[in-house]
Amino acid sequence: MRSFLRPRVLVAALATLTLAGCGFSGTQTQAVQGTAAADTSQRIVVDNFRAPVANWAIESDAAYILSLSGCLETLTRFDQAQGKVVPMLATEWKQTSPLDWDFTIRQDVSFQDGTPLTAESVVASLNHVLDAKVPARAFNRTMVSSVSAVDENTVRVSTPAENPLVPYRLASVNTGILAPAAYKDAEVDPFGHCTGPFTPVSEKAKQSLTLDRNENYWGGDVQLAGAEIRFITYGATRAAQVQTGEADISLSIPVASLATLKGAAGVTVLGADSPRTATLYMNNGRAPLDNIDVRKAIRDSLDLEALAASVYEGAALPATGPFAPSEPWAGEAQEQHKQDLEGARALLEKAGYTADRPLEIIAIVERAEFADVAAVIQENLKNIGIPLSIQAKEYASAEPDVLAGNYDMLLSQRNRLIDIADPIGFLTADYTCKGTYNLSHFCDPEYDRIIAEAATTVDTNERYKLYAEAGQILQDKAVNAWLVNEQATDAVRTNVLSYVQDPLSRYVLTAKTAKAAS
Amino acid sequence: MLQFIAKRTATLVAAVAVSSFAVFLIPYVTPGDPVRKIIRSRVAGDAIEDSSVQALAESLGLNDPLAAQYFRWLGDFFSGDMGLSYVSRTPVAEQVLPSLAVTLSLVAMSLGLAAAVALPLGIISGLRPGSMPDKAITAVTQAFIAMPEYWVAPVLVLVFALKLSVLPTAGWNDLSSAVLPALTLALRPISFFTSAVRAGIIDAAAADHVPAARARGLSQAQSIIRHVIPNGLVPLSTLFAVWFAGLLGGSVIVEVIFAVPGMGRLLFDSVVNSDIPLAQGGVVVVVALAVGVTTLADSVHRFLNPTVGGSLA
Repeated sequence: MRSFLRPRVLVAALATLTLAGCGFSGTQTQAVQGTAAADTSQRIVVDNFRAPVANWAIESDAAYILSLSGCLETLTRFDQAQGKVVPMLATEWKQTSPLDWDFTIRQDVSFQDGTPLTAESVVASLNHVLDAKVPARAFNRTMVSSVSAVDENTVRVSTPAENPLVPYRLASVNTGILAPAAYKDAEVDPFGHCTGPFTPVSEKAKQSLTLDRNENYWGGDVQLAGAEIRFITYGATRAAQVQTGEADISLSIPVASLATLKGAAGVTVLGADSPRTATLYMNNGRAPLDNIDVRKAIRDSLDLEALAASVYEGAALPATGPFAPSEPWAGEAQEQHKQDLEGARALLEKAGYTADRPLEIIAIVERAEFADVAAVIQENLKNIGIPLSIQAKEYASAEPDVLAGNYDMLLSQRNRLIDIADPIGFLTADYTCKGTYNLSHFCDPEYDRIIAEAATTVDTNERYKLYAEAGQILQDKAVNAWLVNEQATDAVRTNVLSYVQDPLSRYVLTAKTAKAAS
Repeated sequence: MLQFIAKRTATLVAAVAVSSFAVFLIPYVTPGDPVRKIIRSRVAGDAIEDSSVQALAESLGLNDPLAAQYFRWLGDFFSGDMGLSYVSRTPVAEQVLPSLAVTLSLVAMSLGLAAAVALPLGIISGLRPGSMPDKAITAVTQAFIAMPEYWVAPVLVLVFALKLSVLPTAGWNDLSSAVLPALTLALRPISFFTSAVRAGIIDAAAADHVPAARARGLSQAQSIIRHVIPNGLVPLSTLFAVWFAGLLGGSVIVEVIFAVPGMGRLLFDSVVNSDIPLAQGGVVVVVALAVGVTTLADSVHRFLNPTVGGSLA
C-alpha cells in the first residue's frame, strides 16, 4: 500500500496564466500549469454537462463520465498535444497480419478491487462491449471480428478487413477496461472495478459521482484526495458554480456566460478548437442545388466573419473548410473564405437560377443559435437574389426527409471525432456514395477512392494527406457551406494545477491534476 | 361519502388509463423514429446504423403491434410491475420513486412558503379592501404572476449565490440548496393564494353571521378570528390542491436550472428520449397523486362548507 504522504509535487507556472484571447484563436488544447504547491489533501469538484442515463453501460456515453473522472482507462490513449495514440493499459502494439493487431498488456496493474489486469480480463471486458445490444460507435462487430488472448500478456484484436485504426479504436472511452467482477448479468458495476487514479465510492442518482484517490494507482502518486463529478446539464448553472467556487472545473461553458467568466476573479477560461463545425448542408441531389455553381454562389454570398462575430459573439471562428485549421489533416491551404457578392451573382446567372425557385432552410431547434444563423443566411442570400424561407424543426422530425433527400438546406453540426480520434468514420458516413449519414447526397468516385485508400493506410502522415485531399474535393465541389468552427470552452479556478483541456472531455482528472491550498 | 369515494376512484382509474395511453402514443405521433431517439439518448451522435435500430427494436418488442405493446404494459402494471426503462434498462420504479420524493419535498416547501406568505397578506388585504396596504400587497403579488421561472431563477442565483454568497447555486443536498428552487416555485402560488384569501375574507366579512356575532357581544377582533378568517380560508384548500397537483410534474424548468433530480426532469427526459415505460410510470404516479390530493382537498372543502357540492353523506 502506498502512502499518500509523499513529497508534494511542485507544478510549474500558475501566475502566468495569460490566456490571451482566452484561447479563442484557433488553438490546440490548453493547459493550466502552476508554481503553487499541490495540497494532496484537497478534493476537487467538476461540473459536467452530461448525466449518465444508461446505468453505467460502457458502450454508452456513461463511459465518458467514468473516463473524465479518472476511473476508466483504455488500452491506448489519444494524446491531444502530440496528436497521436500513446500507451495506456497496453505498453505496445503491432499489426501482426493484415487482419490482426496484438496489444501487450501493461504489467503490475491492478484493478481497484485488487485483482490483476490480465489479457483474459481485457478480453472479457472488450467482448462485453462487442456483445452490447446498442453497440458502441467505435468498437462493434462491423469493424471487429474477434478479441482473444494470445498469451497471458497479449490481446489480439482481429478485424474483418485490414484496418490501420485499431489502436485508435482502443483509445475510445467505450473500450474502457473493467475487472471481471464489474459484469453481473446484464449490468455493469464500475464501483471499485476500474484501473484509474480515482475510485468511485458513491453516486447520487442524476446528481453526482464521488471518487476517492486510488492509493495503488499504477501511474504514480495521485495528487488529489478525491473528487466529485456533478451532473449539471444547464450551462449557466455550471458557469455560476465555477464563479462562486462551488465547482473547481466547469466543462462546456455556454457562449452567453463567457463575458462574465472572463472578468471573474479566480477563474480562468480555456478554449480550444472543437471537432465541430456548424455547417449549412446542401442537398446535392436535388435541383437547383445539384448545380455546383448554385452551391458556390450560396457559399460565396455568406459573410462568415460577421456571423462569427454577431451570433457567436466571437466564441467561434469562421470556418475554412470541413476541418478546423488546427486539425492535422486539415491540409496547408486553409484560406479564410471571403464574401463575394458580385462573383456569387455571376455564378447564379451562369447556372440559370431564377428567384421563382425559392429555397428553404431547416434550422434545428436543439441548437438555439441556429435560428439567428438562419436569419443571417437569409439576409446574405437575399443580397444575391435567392429568396429563402426558414423552417425551425426538431432534428428528429427533420431527419427522415433529410435522409430521403426531400429538403434544400439544413443547418446542423457534427462531431467529426465522436467515435475515434480520426475523421475516417465521419468522412465515410457523411460523404461517400454509400455513406450511412450522407445528408448532402453527395457522390464522387474520386472522393470514394481516396477514402477507401485512407481506410487501409497505416502511416499516419500519409493517411492525413489523403484526408486533406478528400477535404479539398469537398471544398472544390462546394458540397456544403462550412460556417464556423466551434470552440470547446472550460472554466477553471486558478488554484487548480496541471489541468489539461480536452476538447472532447474524455480526460479531465488524472493523477497529476492537483489543487493548491485555498 | 361512499358514493363520493366511488366516483373519485372511478375517476382515478380512468385518468390513469387515459394518461398512460396518451403518453404511450407520444413517441409514435410525434415526428422521428422512437428507436433512434432511444439510441441517441445512450450514445450522442447522429449517424446510426440501421442494423442497430432493428436490433434494439426487436429486443424491446417495439416491432409488435401498438395495441399489443400497450396491453402488455397495462397487464404488467396491474400486476405491480412498471417495467424496465428503455434507456437505462433499470426498473422504472427505482427511478420514479426517488424523483417523486424529491419533488414532493420541493412542492411541499414551495406551497408551505407560499401559504405562509399569502395568509397574512391576504388577511390584511381582505380586512381593509381598497386601503393603501391592500393596494400595495395586490400590486406586488400580482407582479409575481408576470415573472416567469426562467427569469426569476437566474435573478435569485445572481443575488443570493453570486453577490451575497449565502446560498448554493444548485444541487439537492441540504435545506440550503432547496431555498432558491422553493422560492422560485413559490412566487406564483403566493400571488394566487393571496388573491384567494383576500376574496374569501371579503366574502366572509360580508356574511350575515358576522354582524350577528358582534350583536351577541363579540369584539371586532374576536369576530374576525372566530368567523371571518376560518370561513375566508376555505377556498384556499382547493387552490392549494390544484397547485400541488400542477407542480408535481410541472417544475421542469426549475429542476433543470437548479439541478434538482425531480419528477419534472424525469418526465421531460423520458418523453424526449422516447423512454415509454419510464414516461408511463412517471405520469401514472403523478396523475394518481394529483387525483388523490384534489379528492382530499374536495373532501376538506365539503367538510368545512357543506353547502358546496352537496353532502358527503
